[in-house]
Amino acid sequence: MAETDYDVVVVGAGAGGGTMARVLGEKGVKVALLEAGPMIDPQRDFKTNDWPHDYGHRSAEDGGKAYFGRGTDYGFFTTVSGGWQLEGEPYTSAPGTRFQWFRSRVVGGRTNHYGRMSFRFSDMDLKPYSRDGVGWDWPISYEDLAPWYDRTEEYIGVTGTVEGIRSAPDGKFHTPPEPKVHERLMRAAGKSLGVPFIANRRAVITRSINGRAACHYCGQCGRGCLTESNYSASQVDVFPAIRTGNVTLITGAMVREVEASDAGLARGVIYIDKEARTEKRVRGRAVVLAASACETARLMLNSKSRHFPNGIANGSGLVGRYLMDTVGFSVQGTLPALENMPRYDSDGFGGAHLYAPWWLWDDHSKLDFPRGYHIEMGGGFRMPGPGSFLGIARQTGYGLPLKRKVREQYGTRVGLSGRGEMVPNDQSYMDIDPDVIDRWGIPVARFHFSFSDYEWKQARHMERTFKDLIEAAGGKVHGIGNRSREGEGIAVPGSIIHEVGTARMGESASNSVLNQYCQAHEVRNLFVADGATFVSNPDKNPTLTINALSWRTAEYLAEELRKGNV
Amino acid sequence: MSSKQGFVAVEALSRRAALRRIALGVTAAGLGAGIDRADAAQVHAEIANERTFQGEYEVKFFNGHEFATLERLSELIVPADEGGPSGREGGAPEFIDLLSSQNPELAAIFTGGMLWLDAASRVRTGKRFVDSPEEQQTQILDALVEAERDLEDSDVRWETDEYERFSVFGVRRPSEAQQGLKFFGWARVLIVDAYYTSPAGIRDLGFVGNAAHTEYSVPQEAIDYALGRSPFEEA
Repeated sequence: MAETDYDVVVVGAGAGGGTMARVLGEKGVKVALLEAGPMIDPQRDFKTNDWPHDYGHRSAEDGGKAYFGRGTDYGFFTTVSGGWQLEGEPYTSAPGTRFQWFRSRVVGGRTNHYGRMSFRFSDMDLKPYSRDGVGWDWPISYEDLAPWYDRTEEYIGVTGTVEGIRSAPDGKFHTPPEPKVHERLMRAAGKSLGVPFIANRRAVITRSINGRAACHYCGQCGRGCLTESNYSASQVDVFPAIRTGNVTLITGAMVREVEASDAGLARGVIYIDKEARTEKRVRGRAVVLAASACETARLMLNSKSRHFPNGIANGSGLVGRYLMDTVGFSVQGTLPALENMPRYDSDGFGGAHLYAPWWLWDDHSKLDFPRGYHIEMGGGFRMPGPGSFLGIARQTGYGLPLKRKVREQYGTRVGLSGRGEMVPNDQSYMDIDPDVIDRWGIPVARFHFSFSDYEWKQARHMERTFKDLIEAAGGKVHGIGNRSREGEGIAVPGSIIHEVGTARMGESASNSVLNQYCQAHEVRNLFVADGATFVSNPDKNPTLTINALSWRTAEYLAEELRKGNV
Repeated sequence: MSSKQGFVAVEALSRRAALRRIALGVTAAGLGAGIDRADAAQVHAEIANERTFQGEYEVKFFNGHEFATLERLSELIVPADEGGPSGREGGAPEFIDLLSSQNPELAAIFTGGMLWLDAASRVRTGKRFVDSPEEQQTQILDALVEAERDLEDSDVRWETDEYERFSVFGVRRPSEAQQGLKFFGWARVLIVDAYYTSPAGIRDLGFVGNAAHTEYSVPQEAIDYALGRSPFEEA
């Protein structure tokens, strides 16, 4: 079995692992960065600026797969990223559980395609139990985290405006682009109902930094950006990490377990070299797990040894527990005010230019659910693709009436999506399926999941609010925005891809897996740098906080290495 | 046989890659080699210039009569008007042929559907669909649309043997056109999509995105238009 020695072994090259490898590499720490998937090559892999008519299949893919529900997840043009199902790598769900798990096996992970919403957690978000007696408090405060948000935002680049809203702390912002027409109408509708729409905070740069060009507003962030004008862990963390000369990227490395020493410390990891289908190990003074919340927990639970019969650093039994996703629900409609509107380029910076942070944070006593949500928005003149005009075609039949209706209705559709905080509960967790292994011989994750009334009631509040907003703008509500995902009244658990919480931080070893530096209570040279560390799952999309926490952990780890404590 | 609208995707894309390398000054796709905004604009512009359809499309799956039927359907479902050409010029027949050549499930929907269409046409005119007068062709399409709406509007299960017992509610005998609906739905969505994703369809829609800009701005004309039609004084 081949062996190699490094200072630190980092598992996973996404937001958490990429940040970790870059920060450590810049400090001269020798890092092995293991990634289960391949390297990414933007020049080769990104479909930036392509049109559907560049392809005979018009982006419906060979044989029209997209029409049969068998196309690439998130569409043909989306950059290589992963999928809801990976061949030979199943996961299972307990009876009664419906859970979807999006996994990426590629350098950069899910940040290659993600929505890039970048919202800071607030002081209230980090101490939720103290406010409402539900869930748990984090072992850190907003003051602990704020400097790391500053650094992260200054490095990756995030747009926004200073607003002074307590539930949405301000940051170090790039100037955001101006609102699109439908967004202005929805902002006015929000004003009439007391819902504040403000400039969106997305990880896109509107002025050049670190050799990256400013955004050129082609609106295609999800395809990957050749000008590196948005944040993706591949281009903004991993490539610079490799350029330090201190980081060795090992692709195609599917890590099976953390290897424990006789003294109960982490010695390194054992992984399957996917190409050779051979077991290999890599050793380091410390191990950092950043494989995504559920892969990290799976890895810890599968790391059994004399010291750790229930999985490494799992004396509390909390590895895999308190799994959370974001509460999702959306409503779509059309705004007649936009019919036959003069055309303009509404691509912008690749997502909505406005969003509404949670506005009722001081009114929970009047609501029947304890936590908030923010509102995301869709609309504008979208690039046509498979099925774009299906509804209009059904409505009008065929022929000239169809053609005229398409011209009239193009760009009138708006969608509002809620992204809400789920309260952790005992019924939502993952463990290891006792009966199933994957193609690499690794026991697979099994999910158990249940939303409580808190989430269901929050979703109904979203529904009423979105209907009111669209109607206040003179619009017509069509119904649920994503029927296959939200048809039961709330997005299928896991489908928002904000799953976190499976190895949470805390002050005590009996009630948490990690300390405030994301260091395992029981194994001082084992760290976690992904969403597994989260104690709660605020309505803020998790990536920015994963970046900030990973940076904080990296600085702490580098110092502990220097002092010889690790 | 071949038609005028060829979409030579593979060649265009390999040229695209070459263009990109030239525009970027990239000799080899270096690790994370980014490009700046001026380069991005140049790439967008060059790609737009280079994007012209070349060559003849060689029909891969359908026979001559079937392809001619697709051409006629493409003219009827998305007809030419002052805003743009027909679905035929948008490359719809080629699009359907290409996908059908790769997908037996789709191919069967179209081959069976077009035989059904010819049979339905013979009942009316004694001729195949393409050989019938336009008035008869549109009558068949109108019957399909009517059957589609009946299905959508009705809570009654047409399939029941006892439907006539419900005739007091004005329930009609199901249209025979109902059997052609699956085919019609597929033909329509593929023809519509082919048209609106073609350069002509993009122009018809007025989609002006997929471009590089130094600054992003929203024209006041569009804001004023929407605001004037909205319930709001300002937005």
